[in-house]
Amino acid sequence: MTRRALLLFAFTAGSLALGLAPARADVLSDAKAAGVLKVGTETEFAPFDYIDGDKHVGFNVDFFDEVGKSLGMKIEWVALPWDGVLPGLESSKFDIVAGPAIITKARMQRYTFSSPIGEGTVTLVKRASDASIQKPTDIAGRSVGGGRGSNQLVQLKELAASVSPPATVREYTGANETQADMAAGRIVASAMSLPNALAAAKRRPDMFAVVLPPFGVKAYFGYIGRKDAASASLMQAVDAQVAAMKTDGRMAKLQQKWFGATTELPASVTDPAS
Amino acid sequence: MTWFLFALMVQAAGTTLLISFVAIAIGLVIGILVCGAMLSPSVVLRGPARLYVSFFRGVPLLVQLLLFYHLLPAIGINISSVAAALVALSLCTAAYQAENLRGGFLSVSRGLLEAAEAVGMERLQRFRRVSVPIAIRLTIPALVNEAIGILHASALISVVGVIELTKTARNFAATTFDPLPFYACAGLLYLGLTYGVLGLGRAAERHLAVRHA
Amino acid sequence: MTFDPSVVIPYLPAMGRGALVTIGLWLAGLLASILLGLAIAVGRLVGGKAINLALGTLVQVIRGTPFLIQLFLLYFGGPRIGLTLDELPAGLMALSLFGACYMSEVFRTGLRAIPRSHIEAAESVGMSRWQILRRITIPEMLVLVLPAGTNIAVGLIKETAVLSIISVPELTAVTSEIGSETYAFVEALTTLSLCYWALVEICSRAGRLLEQRLASFRFAA
Repeated sequence: MTRRALLLFAFTAGSLALGLAPARADVLSDAKAAGVLKVGTETEFAPFDYIDGDKHVGFNVDFFDEVGKSLGMKIEWVALPWDGVLPGLESSKFDIVAGPAIITKARMQRYTFSSPIGEGTVTLVKRASDASIQKPTDIAGRSVGGGRGSNQLVQLKELAASVSPPATVREYTGANETQADMAAGRIVASAMSLPNALAAAKRRPDMFAVVLPPFGVKAYFGYIGRKDAASASLMQAVDAQVAAMKTDGRMAKLQQKWFGATTELPASVTDPAS
Repeated sequence: MTWFLFALMVQAAGTTLLISFVAIAIGLVIGILVCGAMLSPSVVLRGPARLYVSFFRGVPLLVQLLLFYHLLPAIGINISSVAAALVALSLCTAAYQAENLRGGFLSVSRGLLEAAEAVGMERLQRFRRVSVPIAIRLTIPALVNEAIGILHASALISVVGVIELTKTARNFAATTFDPLPFYACAGLLYLGLTYGVLGLGRAAERHLAVRHA
Repeated sequence: MTFDPSVVIPYLPAMGRGALVTIGLWLAGLLASILLGLAIAVGRLVGGKAINLALGTLVQVIRGTPFLIQLFLLYFGGPRIGLTLDELPAGLMALSLFGACYMSEVFRTGLRAIPRSHIEAAESVGMSRWQILRRITIPEMLVLVLPAGTNIAVGLIKETAVLSIISVPELTAVTSEIGSETYAFVEALTTLSLCYWALVEICSRAGRLLEQRLASFRFAA
């Protein structure tokens, strides 16, 4: 190849790249036109998202099925490790994150949250056989753990520092690594939000027990979208879906099915505690 | 572990095999091009080709995968999970394959090429009918090694959202909170795939062996 | 999306600490790989049939499976059989075993390439079997396998990145954490790539330099 041919190649490749740049007028109408809404999630997050045999199931799957039905779109799931999900949202791999994530001040500065879809107050989970932990402060001087980048970890660190002697906090890549390590005995308790904690204890009552009451500040789960104008209509449509399902009782049914209890949810969280 | 879950693991092993195969094939094509550029007399071709090989052999695949998945959209190229995994695996293996091929071409003896020249073969003819067949035969063992390397490297592609054997084992480990049987099973399946590929490679080597008269 | 490398600057000290962990893990893993690899290679050579078979199977299993699976088996599966290790020792152990199996194969090839005449010469001056191994065979072999050994050593640097998946606080783990704190994933990943690239280039060059230095000790094979 001559130098000129190379330059030509570079130029063409460059303009191709520019031409492919997403012209995002409106995420929702783009998705409607394509007939597909891409939703990012992590599939190791029961009861919201997990793999049961060959099926991806959970609260999120049921909820987004309803969203797909009312907006006339198919839902396409993209499953990443949790530490890749928010980067994936930013790089437009998908248009909404079904995580869900705890609605926090820090995250609200960067992202748009949907209306709350579940309570997510942080709770400790311990080994079922461990009688030494009866209340959250019993972790004093012991090792505890949580998932890296999670809000539960932040609150666990605060709890660990407040007890005397302080507890050691270990960080893991995900909630399940944390759970596996607790089962292995490296840590005595892990921080999970209430629905996840209850789900773990329900699935493996021989292994896990929930330490009640939840120690964290009252917190809620929401779905996450980008903060740009193009995403606004999608987030409004999801909020409308939440509101409609609360009114006609579908939300309560889903909560009962996946969390084993129903909870009152505020219409929106504008000033989260953390 | 139930038979049902085991069947799903085997199915996931199929995905692993398919993705690795496609990556190796694309990588071979790119590898030949990069190798050609590396052997070219022109600095304009040699320089970038060397840089390419150095970069893709110098950065861990895990980092390359994340880079392709998250960086490409920043410059306007948004690709799916499978595409990102294939791009990263192919570009990475191409760098190794280019080096292997280069070694193969450099080992083609001068004497043979001179003999080909003596019987009146053109430069392109010499390349096509002497250098290429010999170089490829010489690099088959390295290609088989590389294929096994990619088979193993594909265990990382779930970081960009591809559900293959390792991720399936992880999912089941998460659902049951019992990791050992699933990772052990995945290990055995990888072992089977590895020695399957190795066996095929050996057969190909025998088939294509340079026969001495 | 904007690209602003300056967001990474305040985190450079943290990345430096991560890089130190990476380098420390690599050096310790490499040393263990060489020693354990030698033990495996020599064990297979001088040990009986049973030892050869057992070690050979170990090497085949390790070389036949992805490092990530070995790591998961050791770290998550280990506790089930009573082997509970923290992430750092588990990571180091998996890395060492992985490296050792690859090294042992290179060493075996090298050992086989040493001419019989060298060993006979050593025998004729009255060296014991152990002396020959320690003073003739192994040193000659190490010089011989330097290029292949360097390749494995460099490969191990990159393999340390996989340890981030079990939360070993090395360079990749530290950097992705920075990415999620600052939301500057692209900048963090780019910096990370450059770090590894530099590390690998430096080590490959060092290996080649060593090869040239030791070239005079290399017998004409």
